Amino acid sequence: MSYLELRDISKVYGEGAAEVRALQRVDLSVDAGSLVAVMGASGSGKSTLLTIAGSLEDPTSGEVYVGGRALSSLSRNGKAQLRRQSIGYVFQDYNLLAGLSAVENVSLPLELDGVAARKAQSAAMESLDDFGLKERASHYPDQLSGGERQRVAIARAVVGGRQLLLADEPSGALDSTNAEAVMRLILVACHRGMAAVVVTHDAQLASWADRVIFLRDGRIVDQTLPVDSPEAMLTKLPNQ
Amino acid sequence: MSVRHALLALLSEGPKYGLQLRQEFEARTGEVWPLNVGQVYTTLQRLERDGLVESEDAADEGPQKGFHITEHGEVELTKWLRTPPDFSSPPRDELVIKVLVAFELPGVDVHDLVQVHRRYLVELMQQWTRLKEDESRFDLHFALVVDAELFRLDSLIRWLDTVDGRLKRAAAGVSVPAPQSFPLPKARRKVGAPE
Amino acid sequence: MSVGVLERPATGSAPEPTTGGIPARRAMTRWAWRLFKREWRQQLLILLLVIVAVAAVVVGAAVATNTPPPANAGYGTAGDLATFTSSGKQPLHLQSVVAQIAALEHRFGTVQAIENETFNIPGSTQTYQLRSQNPHGPYGGPMLQLLSGHYPTGSNEIALTPGLASELNLRVGDIWPQGGKTVVGLVQNPQSLLDEFALVAPGQVTHPTTVNVLFDAPGVNPGRIGSNVYTPAQNGNANPINPDTIVLALATVGMLLIALVSVGGFTVLAQRRLRSLGMLESMGATDRNVRLVLRANGVIVGAAGALFGFALGLVAWLAYRPHNEQSAHHLIPIFALPWTVIVVAMVLAVVATFVAAGHPARAITRVPVVAALAGRPAPPRQIHRSFVPGVIALVIGFFMFTASGAAGSSGVIWLIPGFIALIAGIILMAPFFLALLARVGRKAPIAIRLALRDLSRYRARSGSALSAISVGVLIAVVICAVAIARYSNVYDYVGPNLASNELAVWSPNGQNGNNPNPSAPTLQELQSQEASVHSIASAVGANDVAELYNPAPSVGLQNPSGSGRQWDGQIYVATPALLRAYAINPLSIPSDVDVLSSRPGLSGSGVQVTYGGGGGKGGGQLVGPGSGDSGGSGGPGPGNTNTCSPEGCIAHPVVQEESQLPTGTDAPNTVITESALRRLHLAGDSSLDGWIIQAKSPITSAQVTNTQALAATNNLSVESKNDAPTSHEIVNWATVFAIALALGILAMSIGLIRSETASELRTLTATGASSRTRRTLTAVTAGGLAFLGALLGTVAAYVGLAGWFYSNSLEGGLSDIIDHIPWNNLILIVIAMPAVAMIVGWVLAGRDPTTISARPME
Repeated sequence: MSYLELRDISKVYGEGAAEVRALQRVDLSVDAGSLVAVMGASGSGKSTLLTIAGSLEDPTSGEVYVGGRALSSLSRNGKAQLRRQSIGYVFQDYNLLAGLSAVENVSLPLELDGVAARKAQSAAMESLDDFGLKERASHYPDQLSGGERQRVAIARAVVGGRQLLLADEPSGALDSTNAEAVMRLILVACHRGMAAVVVTHDAQLASWADRVIFLRDGRIVDQTLPVDSPEAMLTKLPNQ
Repeated sequence: MSVRHALLALLSEGPKYGLQLRQEFEARTGEVWPLNVGQVYTTLQRLERDGLVESEDAADEGPQKGFHITEHGEVELTKWLRTPPDFSSPPRDELVIKVLVAFELPGVDVHDLVQVHRRYLVELMQQWTRLKEDESRFDLHFALVVDAELFRLDSLIRWLDTVDGRLKRAAAGVSVPAPQSFPLPKARRKVGAPE
Repeated sequence: MSVGVLERPATGSAPEPTTGGIPARRAMTRWAWRLFKREWRQQLLILLLVIVAVAAVVVGAAVATNTPPPANAGYGTAGDLATFTSSGKQPLHLQSVVAQIAALEHRFGTVQAIENETFNIPGSTQTYQLRSQNPHGPYGGPMLQLLSGHYPTGSNEIALTPGLASELNLRVGDIWPQGGKTVVGLVQNPQSLLDEFALVAPGQVTHPTTVNVLFDAPGVNPGRIGSNVYTPAQNGNANPINPDTIVLALATVGMLLIALVSVGGFTVLAQRRLRSLGMLESMGATDRNVRLVLRANGVIVGAAGALFGFALGLVAWLAYRPHNEQSAHHLIPIFALPWTVIVVAMVLAVVATFVAAGHPARAITRVPVVAALAGRPAPPRQIHRSFVPGVIALVIGFFMFTASGAAGSSGVIWLIPGFIALIAGIILMAPFFLALLARVGRKAPIAIRLALRDLSRYRARSGSALSAISVGVLIAVVICAVAIARYSNVYDYVGPNLASNELAVWSPNGQNGNNPNPSAPTLQELQSQEASVHSIASAVGANDVAELYNPAPSVGLQNPSGSGRQWDGQIYVATPALLRAYAINPLSIPSDVDVLSSRPGLSGSGVQVTYGGGGGKGGGQLVGPGSGDSGGSGGPGPGNTNTCSPEGCIAHPVVQEESQLPTGTDAPNTVITESALRRLHLAGDSSLDGWIIQAKSPITSAQVTNTQALAATNNLSVESKNDAPTSHEIVNWATVFAIALALGILAMSIGLIRSETASELRTLTATGASSRTRRTLTAVTAGGLAFLGALLGTVAAYVGLAGWFYSNSLEGGLSDIIDHIPWNNLILIVIAMPAVAMIVGWVLAGRDPTTISARPME
């Protein structure tokens, strides 16, 4: 059953001559436990897709369903609540709030949702422990490396049993080793049942996904077929 | 892939038997390139002919026959390691040729063509990435080989992205005027030394 | 994930969305607090403003409320006081007093009687009280304090106040010259340090001149008990404008300024945190949560400022308290602070910063989340550029001031809404003028154009800075104009009484003397007085002594108009000695001149001379119908004139302005010539009023004390320069205040305004803009704001002043301020201050931006 579903989504910015069709009649559904990558050149509308899926922006037409609930039926506060409880975001950079330690950053969505501070912090601590960041919990963002910051951001995006992870170029500012670590964590979250959408222009990141969607000029133009078993790869190896 | 130099490298660590050489070769290349025994012995014979290796007392032919590297062999190995592969001329890449051909053919949507190849490449990359996922078998040699393949495929996808971009700009009529005083070299395809 | 189920206040499927409740608010407040701890330096200027304002309120309010005598002075802890005083030479009828005390005791319970007998300090006109007071009496405790030794107990013991002890040169252990008592201690009345007395044990005063009986009669009208019964309530609180109210009003204006200035600061802060706040929203924070972050920041700044300000004020007050005790002549308890005023001021500080932070908080939630995440501020809203609302507010202000002027002294009430209307007008007009400035600069070079356009575009910052500068200038200009107008009134003259090198010695027989019923001194007395005066003169190193004579019968001057301020001041006779003392050549005065005066403008004012009972109402020191400051009774119309009957008044005297004459209000600033006296047939009947002594250098307070002792022997009184400011002092201080305030506001605002365009500046630098461009940008921003602020503030000030002077009957109408515009100070404020701002901006903006590419970690 698909957790995130975009039906016939269009998004138009501006009017008249300045009109930009960021998305045109996009359909997409993401199952729980699966990782979908959206690839496209810059300006293809892939970031818009993510913000609309995550209720940060409203589509011009079409409907978004998250966990079976239509976003258009929700008020501003209702969307905020949905984000608090069900959606985790990871951005390219600038993911953590300065002034809050790693564990406080992770516990923040829970606290925003009304979980008492101590409980939220212990939940956050567990989440950080999962990601091997326990000993960095009390560090502030400016004391963490770029890779650690991004890992804390993912811990925050998945904390509290949220079901949809949305990541926009999550490793854009990282080197390839750290990028791989970030993708592994996202994959771990998926294996535990989250639906995840990663938007990127980087094929190496996208290749971690179960399915890759290709976006061009606001339209979905193609997508990959289900992946063969990895062992099949070894038989295809070039023989010299 | 130079099996010849790979075997030389293995022998530089010390005398080895033919079978042992085959096993170690496969292990070091992440088992990506399988090698049959015949190939090993043909190569070893050529090396011996060229005076790069010597067989230990020519007693018994077969898997138990040991080899060791000669001084000449050491020199050859060092020379080979430090000689860069010849990247000076573009390989006759089939993908490039296909796209170039498609440009000339009427009625072919190059964007679509590019996407077909891009999808195929991404699917290939997905499969390689799947191999990385299982970290238990993911030793350093294997990782390096898989990474090399991923980067190679990635570079092709990037090239396809660029094709898309250039095509789009050409369609939009955008052209960057070339500076008159700086004409493009005519022999563009012969940047490096000829084959 | 591993943490699947957590307690939530409501299930996710509830139709009504929940808010995070207290945990969410606590988390937001915690984050705001952390951000404040991290970034308090960026908010230092707002913080400093609040600290200084609150500290000033603490000190100001403490001084203002503690300087007047305590409300219970003379009452101790009692609620009522009955005094029995001997009248004239008649001693108190003791039996009757005792009977009345017994009656009071019978009726109201505990009483405490304090007997006083007045004595002259030997060889002096000063008096002291021989007092018997039980140190352990029920009510008198606050009025008696032991400084050293012990209280007198038997009939052979006595305690003195330090002043009396030093006057008599006695120490503890010495023998009291009258009656052989031993001095056993030093005592004082903490409620009045001027109260000099000698304390004896109860019952030791045998012939009291005054008996004070302290008792408590709660709820009983003192008048019903007896005509000699008083309560402390009768003394104080008659004036609704008590020091607390004034301090509070000033604090309110100060906090308003702070709120105005900090709007800009908080806007920049919000801008800097835009991405964090977008992040917060993406995490599911509600608009309310986001606003809370900024508002909590405001409250934290306000609260921190209030607390530190209070601490600073307390320290300053403790340091100043001993000086204040000295000048107020009573002891002040350490924590005798006006807590209500202080608490209200602290709350106001928090409210001001809360309100200031609320504005950008609302603006920030209007930025779309996606734009916020990208760090893209919302495009500046179309500025409301209409001129009309501001003008309407100014007009309202004008009428409020008109109402205030017409209502006379009770019109202060109208001034508050009047000032609020003027300030509202300034705030409403600021965007219009900023836009105007941008339009004016449209053809200017790029740097100027950019600076002016940014001022107009980013109104939140520049508008608040502009308003704050304008309000500061408004206050200063009002003070300047009122002071100049008031001081230039030739009839009711104000200013310091004397110059700092002058000393007036008043004869006991003159109008300013100690003697309530002056009579002509005997020749012997006169000689003795003159000897004293000369010893006083030599004590201050002066050899210039001039006698001051009053013409007799008295001569006065009057304002021909019955409305407006009336003549105030003594007229002396221009004796040759007096003229010589002020280096005026008698020959330079034409014989037809009647009056010489140092008051500028008197000769053209149409002043009239009254004598021998002529003039408006009774002669001499003329008191007009609209006398004093209480000119509100019906408001004299234009037809209201003072009479000038030919037999007692010169309608058109010849007045010569003589700048050599002194300007002090108690100095002979206006004199009548001897030739005029002859014409009026008054010559020869002058009476000696006193002497004026001119020293070569300013007279020190030690010299004054010394001369007072010398004067006391002949019952003379000495007057030295008081603390009243001159008009120049007032105007210059007000100008300095305005300039300092404006430059201070600019110093903090420019950084804020330019930080908005810091990235633009980096781009400019990267594209090769020289430091000259950066300097020009900053200088134009500073200068433009300063000039516009000064202009707007001045205009608003004159709108209010015009209203007030237009209707105020005491002043000379509109012409009073139009004729007395403090041009020098206005030029300083409107031209020189912006110039300084430009120069400082130019000099300080030269540094290269430290980071071209790096974006600070936020």
